[in-house]
Amino acid sequence: MYYWRLFATALCFAVFGGGCLVLGLLVFPALLALPGGVHARRVRVRRALGAALRWFANFMRGAGVLTYEFEGIERLGRPGQVIVANHPSLIDVIFLLGFSPSSSCIVKQALWSNPFTRWPVSAAGYVSNSPTDIMVECAAAALREGQSVIIFPEGTRTVPEQPLHFHRGAAAIAIRAASVVTPVYILCEPPTLAKGNPWYRIPARRAHFSLRTGTDIDPGPFRHFAAGPIAARELNEHLLRVFARGLDCPP
Amino acid sequence: MMTTDQIRDVQEIYQMIRSALVELFGLEPARITPEARLADDLEIDSIDAVDLVDQVRRTTGRKISAEDFRAVRTVRDLAQAVQRVLRS
Repeated sequence: MYYWRLFATALCFAVFGGGCLVLGLLVFPALLALPGGVHARRVRVRRALGAALRWFANFMRGAGVLTYEFEGIERLGRPGQVIVANHPSLIDVIFLLGFSPSSSCIVKQALWSNPFTRWPVSAAGYVSNSPTDIMVECAAAALREGQSVIIFPEGTRTVPEQPLHFHRGAAAIAIRAASVVTPVYILCEPPTLAKGNPWYRIPARRAHFSLRTGTDIDPGPFRHFAAGPIAARELNEHLLRVFARGLDCPP
Repeated sequence: MMTTDQIRDVQEIYQMIRSALVELFGLEPARITPEARLADDLEIDSIDAVDLVDQVRRTTGRKISAEDFRAVRTVRDLAQAVQRVLRS
């Protein structure tokens, strides 16, 4: 069983890389070439990417490397919504982008230079996390025009056994332009593909991902309470408390 | 030698930055000296800098470029950067 999962994990990586190339070099350019405005093209690409990622999530499940459940999908993807999630594993984003396919996402700059991921991230029109001022402006603009934006405020995968730490960017963006902030709590048991863990160090048993959409947070009161930066600090502290609670008591 | 006009100019800019820092970040006015380092002494990070540059733009109508801002370390550097952009 262990060796099968090891092989299947390698297979999943290969399928992911191959999928990125096929989508990024063949499918997305074709979708972008079809007539329609910038908006229509982006929606088309994100829909296709979402479908591919859902297929991939089920492929990983079928291959026996993981199981997953995602609660509250129907509350994701609303206009102006900032979706905030913790980031225990490399593959969290596959579930979020797969099941909230209309959303934009803040993605680390390095993925624009990665030979596999560069095509999908640019075709889908995601927001780069660098430089900071452009990130804040682009994400706020996306929210104002009615997109939702997925943000992992830890900025990198969770460091295991360390208290959660959020960069203030997510809160600053939400204070500027979000209509609502919705947390998604991600638990991965046993941990797999965590920060600093090579792909072949697979857990002793199959990993289970539990994603749970939390209660909406209204940024309005924070916004009225103080000037932008102070309000962002307050909201960030609030988010940390909410996540401490949300991750502590799984369903 | 700077002219009286220019000195007043710098003083005004410095005061504008002081009040922006107090208003935006709730800093104690006493902590804001010309030598105070934005990141190390006043704990203003890159996210805060976006709001600070915005506030300066709202007050002066000019935007400090990201490039100019990168060279800014202290409150005095910032005042000088604002002065440069106002003169250009």
